[in-house]
Amino acid sequence: MSKFYTILAIVAVVGIGAVGFQVVGGAGNATTEPVDLGSVMEDPNELIQLARPVIKGDPNAAVTVLEFADYQCPACGQFAREHKPLIDAGYIETGRVNFAFYDYPLTQIHPHAFLAARAARCAEDQGGFWEFHDHMFRNQRDWSSQANPAGSFTDYAEELGMNRGDFQTCLNSDRHAEVVTANMELARQLRVQGTPTIMINQGGGMATRLPSYDFGTISAALDEILAGMDAAAATDPGDR
Amino acid sequence: MSDSVTETPAGDSTGSGGGDLGSAAEGVVEPPMNRMIVAVTSLIGIFVALYLLSHSLGITGSLLCGVGDCATVQASEYAKIAGIPVSAIGVVGYVALLVLALLGLQPAFVGSRAVSGLLVAGATFGFLASGYFTYLEAFVIHAWCQWCVISAILMTVIFVAVIPEFRRLRGDA
Repeated sequence: MSKFYTILAIVAVVGIGAVGFQVVGGAGNATTEPVDLGSVMEDPNELIQLARPVIKGDPNAAVTVLEFADYQCPACGQFAREHKPLIDAGYIETGRVNFAFYDYPLTQIHPHAFLAARAARCAEDQGGFWEFHDHMFRNQRDWSSQANPAGSFTDYAEELGMNRGDFQTCLNSDRHAEVVTANMELARQLRVQGTPTIMINQGGGMATRLPSYDFGTISAALDEILAGMDAAAATDPGDR
Repeated sequence: MSDSVTETPAGDSTGSGGGDLGSAAEGVVEPPMNRMIVAVTSLIGIFVALYLLSHSLGITGSLLCGVGDCATVQASEYAKIAGIPVSAIGVVGYVALLVLALLGLQPAFVGSRAVSGLLVAGATFGFLASGYFTYLEAFVIHAWCQWCVISAILMTVIFVAVIPEFRRLRGDA
């Protein structure tokens, strides 16, 4: 019997040591770079499943505006501050169009972009993705110039009413690193050249890439698609 | 048999010794080997589940995943049940099995049908749940997480180890 308890004690010591080492080693280690996705990279279906975007608006809307963006990219900031609010008001809020945000942090030129993308996904865990997204772009210049913006991200989350501890725990880990990395890989496979890249998708299939991210271009494309849908519905009322 | 001072553990490899537990309790009762196996295996399972849980809570960094594709499995919708990480349920299950096994090793509980019944129920539930999650990995998620596979193996060992408890429940052990 004493031999049994000796074995049990050895297992306990080894287990506590192994898990404790991981916890101590992992705490405070925020993942700031893409991670290895293993075989996911080779299977397009798995990649699409893992590369989950954040959706705004009716998930069942007939038309989707897709954005591939980098939180540290100035043009993305301009799009988020000046153009996206107009898309929200004119299209997303009507319920006919939704908006899918994909992360494409350009990590080679923007050292904080990956962490920022993860931070926004951590905010999503607490139901505050879009508030955090907007706040990040409003304060882009402030945190972009910092050596380590993790503290600012946590402050932003708290200012927006999120639980500081939960957010910090999420940020100081590798949580959402796989999703953000999968988003990046998807962007590469779609040959996205820069950020922000805007695409429009109507009812699945291939998305149409727009030449510009300004509201005029996007609204013209959306109006054309929606008008076509209305015309099709008018000719075939049975489809309505 | 009633005058023997020791009893052959029902889970022992000999397995045939058996005896009247009531009368054996009057002498020195050897703890059943199978419950020792359940205890040690459950303790290992606790640490495996704790490791996965610490990952899903964001406490640890990347999962060590030399074999398989832990990222896909952990990111799948099946990694949580009603918002609760599956690993958290695993920790609770393994702790319950460890407590039951340790309790069943105490002389006063060696012949307890309640302990046998709970061990059988817990191990069967854990074994079936592990089988279901292994099925999901193989045919739904199409990815393997080595820690989930290790947990499934541990649950299988526990399930095999509690087979002698069926005999105790029937009263012929």
